[in-house]
Amino acid sequence: MKKTFVLVSLVLLVFGLILAGCPSRKVVQPEIEQRPTVTPKETTQKAAEVKPEEKITEQRFAKIETKEETPKYIEERGLFGDIQFDYDKYDIRPDAKPILQNVASWLIKNTSAKILVEGHCDERGTNEYNLALGDRRAKAARDYLIALGIASNRIEMLSYGEEKPLCKESTEECWTKNRRVHFVILKEAGK
Amino acid sequence: MKEKFKVQSLRPELRPRVSKFKVLIFILLLFTIHYSLFTIAEAKVYIDISSPAFKKLPIAIQEFSGPSGKEISDIIRNDLEFTGLFFYIDRNAYLENPSQPFNPKNWTPLGVETLVKGSVQEGKDFSVTMSLYDVFEGKEIFKKEYKAEREFIRPLSHAIANDIYYTLTGETGIFRSRISFVAEDKDKMGIYIMDWDGNRITSMGLKGNIILSPRWSRDGTKLIYSTERNRQWGIYLLDFKSMSERKVFSSKGTNMVGDFLPEGNDITFSSSKDGTPDLYIMSLSNNQIIKLTSSYGIEVSPAVSPDGKYITFVSDRGGSPQIYIMHRDGSDIKRVTFEGSYNTSPSWSPKGDRIVFVSRRGTNQIFTVRPDGSGLTQLTTVRNNEDPSFSPDERYITFSSDRDGVKGIYIMRANGESQKRITPKNLRASGPRWAPN
Repeated sequence: MKKTFVLVSLVLLVFGLILAGCPSRKVVQPEIEQRPTVTPKETTQKAAEVKPEEKITEQRFAKIETKEETPKYIEERGLFGDIQFDYDKYDIRPDAKPILQNVASWLIKNTSAKILVEGHCDERGTNEYNLALGDRRAKAARDYLIALGIASNRIEMLSYGEEKPLCKESTEECWTKNRRVHFVILKEAGK
Repeated sequence: MKEKFKVQSLRPELRPRVSKFKVLIFILLLFTIHYSLFTIAEAKVYIDISSPAFKKLPIAIQEFSGPSGKEISDIIRNDLEFTGLFFYIDRNAYLENPSQPFNPKNWTPLGVETLVKGSVQEGKDFSVTMSLYDVFEGKEIFKKEYKAEREFIRPLSHAIANDIYYTLTGETGIFRSRISFVAEDKDKMGIYIMDWDGNRITSMGLKGNIILSPRWSRDGTKLIYSTERNRQWGIYLLDFKSMSERKVFSSKGTNMVGDFLPEGNDITFSSSKDGTPDLYIMSLSNNQIIKLTSSYGIEVSPAVSPDGKYITFVSDRGGSPQIYIMHRDGSDIKRVTFEGSYNTSPSWSPKGDRIVFVSRRGTNQIFTVRPDGSGLTQLTTVRNNEDPSFSPDERYITFSSDRDGVKGIYIMRANGESQKRITPKNLRASGPRWAPN
C-alpha cells in the first residue's frame, strides 16, 4: 500500500516536472534580458544606431564566344552497321566480328580513307562513367581492327557516352540499340 | 530549481525501503539538470542549428515599404523558408502596418518571436534599410542600410537574408551563392550560371557539342570543364577575372576533368591517352602531368577532399563501378561503397565528412556515405537523380533530375527534405555545381 503510494507520488512528480518544464521555457523569458548577447558585432543596440552600410554589387559577365574550328574531314556514315555490346560491358561479342571484318576489308581497299570509331552507351548510367565505358568500347573495336591488320594511325576514336542516343525511348529495345560502336568514314576535306 | 528540492526531500523517506527508487530519483535529477542546461543553451542562440532537436523560429517578414518592397521581402522570405529553420507567419495575419513603428504587443499574440521590417528609397541607387527585432525583448537587434543599382536588387535582398541568418544562427548564409550548370543551346551545349534559387540564369557564351559538369576553383574565380569539340575531348579553363577561356589539356581518347586541388594551381583529371581511362594530376602553371593510377579497367571522376589529402574516384577494378578513396599521390587505395552494383559521380562535402554520389538502384538515386564507408543514406527516390554536389555550408545539395520529364536542376536540404526544381521546365539542363562562395 505504502509502496503504491510512493509510486503514484513519483509518477505525479515526473508529470509535474514535465509540466513545469514545458512552460518554463516561456516563463524563463525575463531571463533573456540578462543573457549575454552572443550575436555578431552589429547586433548590439549601439550598432543599430550606427547604421552600418553596405554597397551590393557584383561582376557583370561578358560573354565569351567559342571559336568554331573548320572540320578537317568530311564524314560518311551508314556504310557499315553498328556493333552492339552487353550492359556495362566492353568486350567484342561474336556477332560483332563479321561487321569488324567488313570494316577492315573496306579499309584495306580504300587506302586513303580513315575510320572514326564512335563508342556509345545506353542512358541508364551516369554521364562521366558512360563516357569512359564508350571509350573502352571504341578501344575494343579499334584493337580488333588493328589485329586484322589496319594501321593504328588510320583509326580515330571518340566516345560519346550516353549523349548521342540512336533511339530515345526508355525501353530495353532502345537501350540495346544504343549500346554500340558506330563507324564513320573520314575523308580529308578538299579531296 | 524548486523541483530538484522536492526530489531531494523525498529521498530520506525512500532510502530505507526500496533502493531502486534511488536510481529512479537519480535519473530524475539528471533529467532536471539536463533540462535546465537546455534552457540556458536555448537562451543564448535564437536557433541552434547544430542541435538535431532545434525548434523552428517563428518569424514575421513585413512587406518593405517603398518601391520593390514586396519583391525584396518575398526574396528574403523564400531564402529563410528554404532553410527549414524558420516558421514563417503569414503576412495576412499581421496587425501592425508596415509604416507603423515596431510594437511587440502587435506580434506576441501571433506567436512571432523575430520580426523583419524595412523600407526602400529609390534614387540613383536603391537604398534599403532593414531592421530585425526580438519580439520578447521588445528591441531592435540588428539594423543596416544596403545600397545597390536596380539590376542588383536580388543580390541585395539575398545579402539582407544573409545578415538575418547570421544574426539568428551565428552561421554564414549561402543566399548570395551561385550554381553553374550546362544546358542545351540550339544544337550545342553551353555553360550557364544562376543564383542558388534558380534566378538570373546567365549564359557564359561558351559552347561545345557536349560539355560535362564544370568544377569551381576553391576561390570561385575559375571553372574547369571537359568538352567535345571537333571530335576531341579537351579540358578547358574559364577565368572570371580575365573573362577568357583557355585549353588546358587535350589528346586522343577521352579526357575528363575531376577537380581543382585546394591551392588552385593543380587539377585532377581522367584520360585514356595511354589506352584505358586512368587518373592524373596536372599543374596549370607548368603543364606537368603525374599519373596516379594504372589499371586495365576504367578510372574516372577524381574528386579532391577539402583538405587536399585524398582523392575519391570511380573504378570498375572490382567488376562493377564503385567509389574508392586514395591518398593524393595515388597510394593506399580503399573501396568506399559495397552496396549496389553501380556507384558513381562522387563529390565531397565542404567539411570532408561525407561523400555524395549516385547509386543505380533500378533508377539513379543520390546517396551520401562517410569516407570510411559507414553511414550510407539515401536522399532521393523519384525517377533518375544525378550530378550531386554540396552547398558551401554543407546544408544543401544541388543535383539534376528527370522527374518532371525534361532533365533540370534541383536543390534539396542535405537530409533530402524540400526537393525542388529551380530551372524552368523547358530548359534541358544538367551538371550543376554549387559555387564555393
